[in-house]
Amino acid sequence: METILAFIETKDGEPRKVSLELLSEGRKLAREGRFVLEAVAFGKVSETAKEKVCAYADRFVHITDPVLDLYTAEGYALALCRHAEATKPAVILAGATRIGRDFLPRTAVLLKTGIASDVTEIRRSEDSIKVIRPMYGGKVLAEVSFTSAPAIITVRPNSFGVEAPDGKAGEYTQSRLDIPPGDIRTQVKGVEGATRSKADLTEADLIVSGGRGLKSAENFKLIEDMAEVIGATVGATRSVVDAKWRDQEDQVGKSGKTVSPKLYIAAGISGAIHHIMGMDTSKVVLAINKDPNAIIFNYADYGIAGDALEILPLMTEELKKRMGK
Amino acid sequence: MNIVVLAKQVPDPEALVEPGGGGTRLDVEPKFVTNLFDEFALEEALRIREKHGGKIKVITLGSGKATEVLRTGIAMGADEALLLEDGAFQNGDGYSTALALSRAISKEPFDLILCGRQAIDDDRAEVGPMVAQFLGIPHAGSVVKLDVADGKAVAECLIEAGKEIVELPLPAVFTAQKGLNEPRVPLITGVMKAMKAAIPRVTPEDLGLSAAEIGAAGSKTKVEKYLSPKKKPKVQMIPGEPQQAALEAVRILIDVERVL
Repeated sequence: METILAFIETKDGEPRKVSLELLSEGRKLAREGRFVLEAVAFGKVSETAKEKVCAYADRFVHITDPVLDLYTAEGYALALCRHAEATKPAVILAGATRIGRDFLPRTAVLLKTGIASDVTEIRRSEDSIKVIRPMYGGKVLAEVSFTSAPAIITVRPNSFGVEAPDGKAGEYTQSRLDIPPGDIRTQVKGVEGATRSKADLTEADLIVSGGRGLKSAENFKLIEDMAEVIGATVGATRSVVDAKWRDQEDQVGKSGKTVSPKLYIAAGISGAIHHIMGMDTSKVVLAINKDPNAIIFNYADYGIAGDALEILPLMTEELKKRMGK
Repeated sequence: MNIVVLAKQVPDPEALVEPGGGGTRLDVEPKFVTNLFDEFALEEALRIREKHGGKIKVITLGSGKATEVLRTGIAMGADEALLLEDGAFQNGDGYSTALALSRAISKEPFDLILCGRQAIDDDRAEVGPMVAQFLGIPHAGSVVKLDVADGKAVAECLIEAGKEIVELPLPAVFTAQKGLNEPRVPLITGVMKAMKAAIPRVTPEDLGLSAAEIGAAGSKTKVEKYLSPKKKPKVQMIPGEPQQAALEAVRILIDVERVL
């Protein structure tokens, strides 16, 4: 039986949400296609993480090695390549996260195989796997097939739901790679500003974003207040980031992050193509803009033609009441 | 310091792009620009040369309009350009494109390779890391600050929340992210020079590559067809005074869409 290998990205030893989405989708593919679902993770993995992963995967291989304690593209690419050479999976799945998109292309070269990046759908037919990936910032989609194996696929977070596991428990094994430290030339010197409790934008289910229509950095308080009440992550447009009202890590769009939440609230955002490219796979979009002809309304499910500065606090009040806060 | 910049001419972000011929091809409005992220790479190369001296070579793969990105590079201040032009190079995926580019790079000594974080047409973001792997050197992705000294580089890379600082020995590849710099506008003298510049071309044979290894033939993935994304149904405007509209919006999100 062929294997689907899911790369489990961890953060502080816990699997990221996108990794559970992969496991859930992988379980489905395994069921339909009679594949074995194997999971692999590097570095630190907590006890609860082991349980979570084993609930979906037939096998969970946890690879430890001093060079994998901190992420480097070189180290992760080499480790995944070594593992895949030994187990010969038909498909490798990973999240299209910063890390996934950074090291899987290197893994593809090491394995002399193809990669489809930032995939939003996997279609399995009789004997092949095809994937759908957006191009040109989402203006078109490409259906991509593989002419080599394994098929490496990075999946955009929030593209698949997380289904409850079906009750069987996979087997956990630990293995060591012993990569000579000299083989990894990248040295991680440190991380700045990575203490954030809220879900990262790329994985957030709920996002409240603000644009120029907010008028000032201070008025982003209204966005933050609403986000606080519903547990959303705050996003921003390029012009707002360029004006230094928000940090770049909040930017949604072509030169920022691509997001795909269940709910995207766009307040005071006109809908420049750069912004649309970063959020057009959101499930439900509510746009609030004074200009009833704003382009953002072409990409929204619901719209309010009104001043975001007025509408946001009214909505926040009501949300507090309805959500019992 | 031998600096290589990989750059690409891409359709303007505002250009119309649609599947044509029943999904067998893309119809792209003929408006082209330098890939946004490659401009950051070009600018950074110029700044590094200003500090450390050396030579900048801009490389692209393509034909026709593709050469414009090389002229833009020279107009901004690059010393040389190189065009991978041959039918066999065309329509490759990340793998075959990166293979050809890495061979072109390794024809001469190199210390630093810069490219954009991704091209805004294919949106693959694969070529930078792949070139690094083909060349057997490290890379740093989504770089927003780069300092080069004594045969090594310290790069600040944008990660999901915050920045990561990495140190790499040279040679290495760096993919440029917004925030790295503000690209300069070429001077008219630069533009004049670029118009007259001879653009050397290389063929697959020059790089020791067979037609089967590159372009569409050497690709490990294949686009079966192009599709249009699902259109959202027309927006439902929520009418009424602000108070009324706000209450209705909350009701819809909680009771109808059930997203909260």
